Amino acid sequence: MAGRKFKSLKTALLLSLALVFVFSIVACSSKSGQSSGDGQVTLVMWSHKDPGIDEADSQLVADFQAAHPDIKIKFESYPYDEYVQKLKASFKTSGGPDIAEFFGTWVAQYAKNDLLEAVPNGKDLIDKYFEAPIGGYVYNGNVYGLPLEYNIENNGMLAHPQMFKDKGLSYPPKTWDELVSAAQKLTVMDGNNLKVRGFDFTSYDNVTYLFLALILQQGGNYWGGDGHFNFQSPEAEKAMNELVKLTKEYKVADYNQMGAELDGSDYFYKGESAMTYRGPWTIPTGKNVYNVDDFEYVAVPSFTSNPPSFAAESGWGIVVNKQTKHKEAAMEFLKFASQPDNVMKWNITTFTVPSLKAVAENPKYLKQLPMMKAPLSQLQYGKWIGPIGDRDFMWDTINNEFPKMASGEVSVKDGLKNLEETLNKMLDEQK
Amino acid sequence: MGPWRGDRLSQHTKELRFVIYSLTPILLLFLVFLIIPIFWGIQLSFFQYDPLASSSPLIWFDNYVRMWKDPIFVKSFLNTFKYVFIAVPANIVITLAFAGMISRVRSARWRNFFRTCFFLPAIAPLSASALIWSTMLRSGGDGLFNMLLDKMGQAKVGWLTDGNTAMISIILMTLWADIAYNIIIFMAGLDAIPKLFYEAAEIDGANAFQRFRHITLPLLQRTTLFVFTMTVISYFQMFPQFQIMTRGGPKNETLVMALNIYNNAFSYSRMGYASAMATVLLIIILVISLIQIRVGRTQWEY
Repeated sequence: MAGRKFKSLKTALLLSLALVFVFSIVACSSKSGQSSGDGQVTLVMWSHKDPGIDEADSQLVADFQAAHPDIKIKFESYPYDEYVQKLKASFKTSGGPDIAEFFGTWVAQYAKNDLLEAVPNGKDLIDKYFEAPIGGYVYNGNVYGLPLEYNIENNGMLAHPQMFKDKGLSYPPKTWDELVSAAQKLTVMDGNNLKVRGFDFTSYDNVTYLFLALILQQGGNYWGGDGHFNFQSPEAEKAMNELVKLTKEYKVADYNQMGAELDGSDYFYKGESAMTYRGPWTIPTGKNVYNVDDFEYVAVPSFTSNPPSFAAESGWGIVVNKQTKHKEAAMEFLKFASQPDNVMKWNITTFTVPSLKAVAENPKYLKQLPMMKAPLSQLQYGKWIGPIGDRDFMWDTINNEFPKMASGEVSVKDGLKNLEETLNKMLDEQK
Repeated sequence: MGPWRGDRLSQHTKELRFVIYSLTPILLLFLVFLIIPIFWGIQLSFFQYDPLASSSPLIWFDNYVRMWKDPIFVKSFLNTFKYVFIAVPANIVITLAFAGMISRVRSARWRNFFRTCFFLPAIAPLSASALIWSTMLRSGGDGLFNMLLDKMGQAKVGWLTDGNTAMISIILMTLWADIAYNIIIFMAGLDAIPKLFYEAAEIDGANAFQRFRHITLPLLQRTTLFVFTMTVISYFQMFPQFQIMTRGGPKNETLVMALNIYNNAFSYSRMGYASAMATVLLIIILVISLIQIRVGRTQWEY
């Protein structure tokens, strides 16, 4: 009897374990490429979900398949937050894609852990790209993937020419002082609230970008000699003081709007800002979502008499998973995707700035996207931001500390010291 | 072994088999998805674990020491307690009041109508409610609350962008979205109190407040304890509305522990550090729950 009881228990346990095992296998089944009997190779490609990027990637995949009938690509896209997690979880196992769209800032962390395939002869390709976008894809001298775009959030802004005209102001501002003066005149208050912001730079991304650009434009550097951040230089202090003044003294932007429910560009397209420091990738939203056409994208003048240098964070590009079983086919796709004609098509569809010099210099590109004139004129001033470690942590830290300085809760000196200590601790952890 | 004994054992075996077949799958799922992750998380908290890194050094209690020196963790810790200490009593008072009022409605049809109305917010996912509320609480002129203030000639308020109002705004949203279950539980508790106690009190001349103070509250103690414990546990872990409405801002004023754990684990890949924070949260909830159960222990029944 005891034997029967034990047998029942064993059967139940075995059945249950089998169920859990089957579910686990189904849930964790590998997604990477397969070869079919007829010699056709199937690759899996992942990207983050974005209407423009989805369309451009689908077109790129279709063009590649037409040119390579022996290779099939299964394209999948995921919401950004989910995508970041899926990549981390899958690249350490065999469940990842063969090809993935990566943001350049992520590459170093994956390359350091030997999770990406180096591009053959990648070093020979470096000169074909602008320094800022390719910088993110280079690790220890090897190139791990190729950028499709030059992520630019700097030195360009959305502006409403009519607002300048209505106030009798010269447009566009030619110097930093002109910009600040115009911003003050264009600002409209409603009690203690800003009804129209003169110069809005407080979007999640842009406080950091403007801060770093103002340091560089003074001839300073935010990197210390030992691979750590240096935010206690006179240039850093002057840069941060200027940002604080813009919100506290000139009152042309509102630090309370940092992390608000809408992006800075949304407020601009709603007519609640005269000038907004934001990347040109936001232009399609204005045209297609808000249906407005009364704005332009113009260059932001330098903070000093020096050239308008800025720090840029690479851009979206393509990498190959080290664990792919079809390295040659995946590399063939990378090669195809980085051909100037294909990159240009991708940039035009996604409304992004080209990472390849040949595309930026091609008049066809500007003809298709005339609003890109201002960003293109600034590309030469861009520097790769450098090995910043955890990008999200850096941005969150600066965005948390800036309102404290702007509100006077902490002094600029102390705030910058806090920033430097916190971010350098993060860099040490990442080593 | 006689036939009688054999039948009895056979019946016992059948029952045992039924219990095993019924419970083993759910216990296994419970084990795989709840018990093992808890112990796994506690174990991770002793490592500097980054999912992408090839090695994860054992750092013993460094993550625990570090968190108390981390001003952002301390802020999230205090914010969590602030949120729980305001939101839980407010929830209990409001839900008890509504349950009391609905219970007094004599018509069953109207009672069901009100019960349904108050339960409606619970049908929507919390994240969807948070999204809708964040549009209503927009600081510009197109947020519903600011439009109402504007109509009344009052200045606009940065509901979610001002450090002084952001936490209160989220608490208001939570109270709206999360009162349904507690109202239903309180109503069940109120319905279970025998009417004869109230009738006797009325004969003795007790007024409504005295009846509530001396009959309802004491006899609702077990229900209140259950509601209180479950609400405290749930509010300590509250996450969606903080992530969707403010992402912890402005100036970390709405950064609660659950959101801080999420940020560290999934945005900054500091799984070890996040696990240490999660372990602290687990201990806090465990201790508070044990205290509540001990304090609320009762020896009576009716």
